Amino acid sequence: MFMTRSEYDRGVNTFSPEGRLFQVEYAIEAIKLGSTAIGIQTSEGCVLAVEKRVTSPLMESTTIEKIVEIDKFIGCAVSGLMADSRTMIDKARVEAQNHWFNYDESMRVESCAQAVSNLAIKFGDNDDDGTAMSRPFGVAILFAGIDEKKGPQLFHMDPSGTYVEFLAKAIGSGCEGAQQALQEKYHKSMTLKEALKEILVILKQVMEEKLGVDNVEVATITKEAGFHMFTKDQVREVIQDI
Amino acid sequence: MMSHEPEPSPTTCGAPLLQRGFDPYRDNAGTLVGIAGEDFAVIGSDLRLSLGFSIFSRDQSKLFKLTDRAVLGSSGCWADCVSLNKFLEIRLKTYGFEHNQPMSTKAIAQCCSTMLYSRRFFPYFAWNILAGIDEDGKGAIYSYDPVGNFERVPYQAAGNSGPQVLPFLDSIVGKKNQSNPDKAPITKERAINLIKDIFISAAERDITVGDGTHIIVITKDGLEEIRLDLRKD
Repeated sequence: MFMTRSEYDRGVNTFSPEGRLFQVEYAIEAIKLGSTAIGIQTSEGCVLAVEKRVTSPLMESTTIEKIVEIDKFIGCAVSGLMADSRTMIDKARVEAQNHWFNYDESMRVESCAQAVSNLAIKFGDNDDDGTAMSRPFGVAILFAGIDEKKGPQLFHMDPSGTYVEFLAKAIGSGCEGAQQALQEKYHKSMTLKEALKEILVILKQVMEEKLGVDNVEVATITKEAGFHMFTKDQVREVIQDI
Repeated sequence: MMSHEPEPSPTTCGAPLLQRGFDPYRDNAGTLVGIAGEDFAVIGSDLRLSLGFSIFSRDQSKLFKLTDRAVLGSSGCWADCVSLNKFLEIRLKTYGFEHNQPMSTKAIAQCCSTMLYSRRFFPYFAWNILAGIDEDGKGAIYSYDPVGNFERVPYQAAGNSGPQVLPFLDSIVGKKNQSNPDKAPITKERAINLIKDIFISAAERDITVGDGTHIIVITKDGLEEIRLDLRKD
């Protein structure tokens, strides 16, 4: 990719003669520098797990927040530029609440991904209200949630705004190894408990540091309990199991 | 207190006060009746479109088919009713495109309310009743005021003859003021016949009701339409 580098990577809305948007491709590359995040969809619910890079023992690890609640039945895990992700999470939350306000029902996971996707492709627009970004977002997002009709769903979205449903997906620096592992381990009859265990086993394999309660975040989204963020004690319990 | 002189008219700087009127609303009347059953909902409207003593149309239903499981009845200022329903149709279509599914009756109910309330300070002069089948397959009637306050009810009457018809429904469908009433849920046939009778009776008393009635029965299998002639005078 860098062999063909040319002037065409200057403007975010300029296609190269080969038909590529380099800034978007670079943004996708930026995700690969981010910490690993994994999501698994089972028939009982979805599991999300992320690695937190605690670079200093003086750092307060709880302030790194990479899994967040969007609505009662939607959660998301992010990887990449955290500051950018805040804008997108905010958009998702506002859209979810707006949907509830207008229709008295919770928003579908796919609709939520679509709403955020609309924001993600706004880069380079120079509109007056100042909502547009001058560059693509350097974030990949895993949306996990419960659809009222289709059940548990997991969506992956990249900086280009493209979103696709996955049964299991890994993003971030360890994504290649983790995705390979997911492909081997995933099966459709997986229980939530199995997925929870598997997701940490895989995360452990791809993490540079030793997996512990302070450098990992885990959440589940189930029909019964909605979005549930694991406490340190609950994470410890799962880790002891592996 | 003793003087019988008329009060001086209000003035501005000595000149008589000019009052300019802005009267954008017309009452084109129309009557709506809705009854919800276990697995069906029935809604009926009259067919006369009028303004005072003038009849504009003898064949204008006030029922709008929104989806195959929801029908909205609108009466009041006919221009407002048409406008509201056109915007609602846009909302239904865009919802379908955005969310890959038709809007549920519950969602339509909330959507109607927010649309009406968005015009809080220049309201649509429209009295609405939404009839449909909810997600559990049960019959549903939602009743609205013109600014969007709404409630799910077992039955409702609205529009010009609404105040006359509602006490009848309270007694017959709601079984109010009856000793040892038969509490069995109302059947579809009974509900349809009741609405027919209500319109025949309303046409006797209310000059805005007449010409005909349009009844739509909503079940899980879709919509069934019934038309009945009423007195034309």
